[in-house]
Amino acid sequence: MERKKFIIIVLLCFTLLLSFTLSVLFGSVSVRLSDILKSLLSLNTGSTSHTLITAVRLPRALGGLFAGMGLSVSGIILQSVMNNSLAGPSTIGINSGSGFCIMLAMLLFPQSGFLLPLSAFLGAFTASLAVFLLAYLADSSRTTIILAGITISSFLNAGTNTIKILDTELSVNLVSFMAGSLSGLTMAKLFLPCLGILTALILSFSLCRALNILSLGEDTARSLGLNVPFIRLVFLLLASLLAGCVVSFGGLISFVGLVVPHICRQLFGSDARFLLPCSSLLGGSLVLICDLAGRVLFRPFELPVGILTSLIGGPFFLYLLLKKKGGRRVNA
Amino acid sequence: MLEFKNVSASCGRTPILEQVSVSFPKGIITVLIGPNGCGKTTLLQCLNGTSRVTSGEIYLEGQDYLKLSLKERARKISFLPQIRTIIPAIPARMLVEHGRFPYLGFSRKKTKEDDRIVENALSFTHTASYANQPVDTLSGGIRQRVFFAMALAQDCDYLVLDEPATYLDPDGQREFLSMARELKAQGKTVILTLHNLSHAISLADRLIIMNDRRVIAQDVPKKCLDDHIIQDIFHVSCKQFKDKDGTYYFFQ
Repeated sequence: MERKKFIIIVLLCFTLLLSFTLSVLFGSVSVRLSDILKSLLSLNTGSTSHTLITAVRLPRALGGLFAGMGLSVSGIILQSVMNNSLAGPSTIGINSGSGFCIMLAMLLFPQSGFLLPLSAFLGAFTASLAVFLLAYLADSSRTTIILAGITISSFLNAGTNTIKILDTELSVNLVSFMAGSLSGLTMAKLFLPCLGILTALILSFSLCRALNILSLGEDTARSLGLNVPFIRLVFLLLASLLAGCVVSFGGLISFVGLVVPHICRQLFGSDARFLLPCSSLLGGSLVLICDLAGRVLFRPFELPVGILTSLIGGPFFLYLLLKKKGGRRVNA
Repeated sequence: MLEFKNVSASCGRTPILEQVSVSFPKGIITVLIGPNGCGKTTLLQCLNGTSRVTSGEIYLEGQDYLKLSLKERARKISFLPQIRTIIPAIPARMLVEHGRFPYLGFSRKKTKEDDRIVENALSFTHTASYANQPVDTLSGGIRQRVFFAMALAQDCDYLVLDEPATYLDPDGQREFLSMARELKAQGKTVILTLHNLSHAISLADRLIIMNDRRVIAQDVPKKCLDDHIIQDIFHVSCKQFKDKDGTYYFFQ
């Protein structure tokens, strides 16, 4: 069993490395592997391929990596905190909350770049807290939590659409923002969100023991001495920070935060010590591969990454669900 | 001695208990009985904070229990809740290891001593052979024993079990009773709720009878029977049967 896990982890690392490299290599114009090495070593800085790699491909690949890691880990955390296997950044309104706040920030303060991640985080946290309190205070069933999340999502998405349609000056492509896209990323745009994601990832990894205890259910967790309300708040903050930062540069990439945790639960059971690192590896790979596919499949046209995550992730997820039928039950 | 003094408690926002005073002496087995909805679970849940104590005090060996942090509480009393909505997909050993959580911190990692306690808990509950199987694939009875092992791994002097025998077959129930007696022999204080009156009376050194959210009696089982309290509350009649091993009680 442990051996199997080890092999899977090595495979996941390899996949991530491969998809990252491919993501830098391929695109509307392909570059050679030797060019990447030269760029990384800062040789030949004047060439076009160097500019292409450092200004376009590398930020895009990094964005994909962080988006995948952030969304997947956010999904794992939300599923444990809400004890609900259907929870995820896009199903409980976190993504939409940050999307709406980003749009609002762009409308009110068009010039300030650093406000975007901040407002994305605030929007994400407000939405998640609202859904959680709604569910918790009303002592709702698991279905109600998801329904509340979906309702809040569509409410906020309506707001986002309204802002964009009323203010035609906003420098954002609504379609790619709502679907989730990684095009046009720069290192400057990425810096703050990635810092936020990295911090949240490190904190989540160090708290994975508490996440395991929380997954046992509220009563048992209390009996083991866990301060349940406090740790829930901490995890909601972390999940919001992760998803909010991703939305601030990648838009509303859906499905990753739901599918990747499920696949990892199938592979590793519900031990957060494996789930968190593995889902970040898998999530990073998935987003990178989908983004790559979106760039090369219909060259010279480009599909937003969010569309590809649904196109590729969806059928695969269905396959897993059907395969699981009659097999062992996986709890959130 | 664990003592509830004039404790009022609510479940969510609904007040359930009012001014309940009850005590659990150290080193013996105390069994709580009462019809469904009488407040047994709410009373016990005051210990892990699932029910909110709105007034009154709880003392553990003279110490104000409610002033302790949750982790400190979990090192003094291990409480095994009744309801299990979530069955984790983790190996049984890992679940039992979670019992060591109250002793672990950011800096304190698992030691040999923790491993020893976990192995002891597994072998005491006869679950060592299931240690590597995921908990969600185990049968109800074994699952219950694994959760029991987790509570034992907390290594507390006080053990509080809310309806531990519910998921067990008759054989498993008997085995559970003998485990409870063995724990008492090891010097632990055992507090539990049971629905089977015969088991409750044969196991208990002291009975606490609750009805309609109030404590009706707290005494040795014989006295509770002689005073006809059990018979009145549960609407049963009691037949006794004596042999060289002791007295058996049957209820109808």
